[in-house]
Amino acid sequence: MIGFAGMTHLGLVSGLAAAAKGEAVTAFDPDSDLVARLAQGRFPIDEPQLAEIWAAHRDRVRFTSQASDLAACGLIYVAPDVPTNDSGVSDLAPVERLLGIVGKAAAGRTRVLLSQVPPGFTRALGDPSIYYQVETLVFGRAFERALEPERFILGCADPAQPLPPACRGFLERFGCPILPMRYESAELAKIAINCCLAASVTVANTLAGLAENVGADWSEIVPTLRLDRRIGPHAYLTPGLGLSGGNIERDLATVTRMADATGADAASIRAMLSNSRYRKDWPLRRYGELVGDRITHARLALWGLAYKENTHSTKNSPALAFLAGLGPSVVRAYDPLVAADARYHPGILQAKDPLDACRDADALAILTPWPEFRRVAPRDVAAAMKGRVVLDPYRLLDPEACRAAGLQQAVLGAP
Amino acid sequence: MTLEHRQNPPAEPARVVVLGSRGFIGAALVRDLQAAGIPTLAVASADLDLSAPDAAAALTALLRPEDTVVFLSALTPDKGRDIATSMRNLRMGEAVAAALQAQPVAHLVYISSDAVYPFESGLVSEATPAAPIDLYGAMHRTRELMMQQAFKGPLAVLRPTLVYGAADTHNSYGANRFRRMAQKDGKIVLGGKGEETRDHVLIDDLVAMIREVLRHRSHGTLNLVTGQSVTFDELARLVAGLFSPAAEVVHTPRQSPVTHRHFDSAARRRAFPEFRFTPLADGLRKVHREAIGGT
Repeated sequence: MIGFAGMTHLGLVSGLAAAAKGEAVTAFDPDSDLVARLAQGRFPIDEPQLAEIWAAHRDRVRFTSQASDLAACGLIYVAPDVPTNDSGVSDLAPVERLLGIVGKAAAGRTRVLLSQVPPGFTRALGDPSIYYQVETLVFGRAFERALEPERFILGCADPAQPLPPACRGFLERFGCPILPMRYESAELAKIAINCCLAASVTVANTLAGLAENVGADWSEIVPTLRLDRRIGPHAYLTPGLGLSGGNIERDLATVTRMADATGADAASIRAMLSNSRYRKDWPLRRYGELVGDRITHARLALWGLAYKENTHSTKNSPALAFLAGLGPSVVRAYDPLVAADARYHPGILQAKDPLDACRDADALAILTPWPEFRRVAPRDVAAAMKGRVVLDPYRLLDPEACRAAGLQQAVLGAP
Repeated sequence: MTLEHRQNPPAEPARVVVLGSRGFIGAALVRDLQAAGIPTLAVASADLDLSAPDAAAALTALLRPEDTVVFLSALTPDKGRDIATSMRNLRMGEAVAAALQAQPVAHLVYISSDAVYPFESGLVSEATPAAPIDLYGAMHRTRELMMQQAFKGPLAVLRPTLVYGAADTHNSYGANRFRRMAQKDGKIVLGGKGEETRDHVLIDDLVAMIREVLRHRSHGTLNLVTGQSVTFDELARLVAGLFSPAAEVVHTPRQSPVTHRHFDSAARRRAFPEFRFTPLADGLRKVHREAIGGT
């Protein structure tokens, strides 16, 4: 039996994925109300495959708010949420708290810390029966990655020692490489992955921005890079609105802070953060040029509030950054999972669907690439709107159809 | 730090003390404030020489706690780029800082300059490190720091880029000099092909932006820029077209390397979402009319 402590997004997905692999799972959280809701299948997260996995494997999952139930588990994953502040600094108190509860209830059991911690954290706990596993959660694709990981990265007090049988046995169920290494290497490996992702994102966004100014079209360039073996078919090359979600930015902030403290150069990482901030303001700049400089108190339709598709999370969302700088406009917003809230903008109104948001709008901004937005016909958008401007950074609407409908579509990566 | 507002909704200041009231920007600001009926104390160097030894005491006597001070006084680069000019500017800063410590006011606005930026790393924003490369820029940066240290109330540091207007006496390379060249010689002579890009702000817009800062009692740092840069060649052709017949635009061998200035105007849009700059062509036409009409 495998225990999972902390019914967070990470803990829930990991626990249900373990059940899907045939393990009996004890899922613990100190919040008894949350546990009661989970036992009824009422989950606080939205992920593709969630309902199907729960329906197929619920008999192998037992939710509990009694930490003592973990004592029967040979292996316990600990996955609390780690909040970060506006500067990307993690609050590690929840990690220490939950490790303390689990350590007391299941002394001597192999525990694996799954939440991300900065280099040096796990060794400082001074307990070699605790391991650190690099989490691979991607919002909106969480189960896909939890069920078919590329590899496991496992931080150990001493990587020369064999892994505990319960741990090795569980990980081998997934049929992918297992990479044991010292704690510090694993902790830094997670950051290194995010830095490489940030590099791809930053290169794509920087060059897409240049394309907008020099008459090039970034979408024509991407295939040339995909065909280059040195860059690879899966590189992040689609331009976006900076780095969102918070996790990658947290790691970049960690690198600059640690480099400052240790006397290392982190100028390139600072440049990524700077570029991200600049690109996040793309909607504000384009809206200002195309609408704000021409129309007083414009009425705006907004599609999308989440930071990306298939998630309810709004952390570092470009849409919210845009709303914060918008001024006294009326905004009719629609997002499949996030409700319009006055915290986001004092003039925000809830629309019942995408076309309802467009009613009499001077402009439309599509700031989350939800798949359902692709299915809306540009001619219907044009018919509902008063104005013609569509900020569509991700090119969700077909450019030809937009032109035919008389819409002025502003996209990332093209003039 | 970018600009934040202490007063929202905005309200007119009780009284504005303009230091440097006879300069290009100061005179335009005073005219605007007086037209709006806002009590204004215009202080020019002829009234009070801020570089004089007793300037701090004299200025202290003029200030009231409810005042907003706009500190514009400066010897501009056309008056000299030497050490003596820079030191005199710093003495003015020292006097203003001492007066504000002796008599704190409600709001301080320091009109600095984009010369505090090195313009070597492309796009400039309020987050770009102020690393001046000449004495004029270093002087402004030092005065910014002086104001920050001396004044604990809301302080707005505004960094204008190239400003144009009929009353400008600086004759610096740009719209004002091009107009004068076209008027005098019938041609505008450019260094090289005029490839360098610059951002140009109409004096009326600059004053309107300062007024918004006063009304919001804003604090922080803001670049007074449009966010739209044009080449000197484009600018020269716009100016040349205002004359009849159109002035000729002449290129000469380049004497200095090409440098560009582009600003990210996101902070300005965020601080004042409803503010609109006059399009460059319209602004140049207005200035031309004023210059021809002598107003």
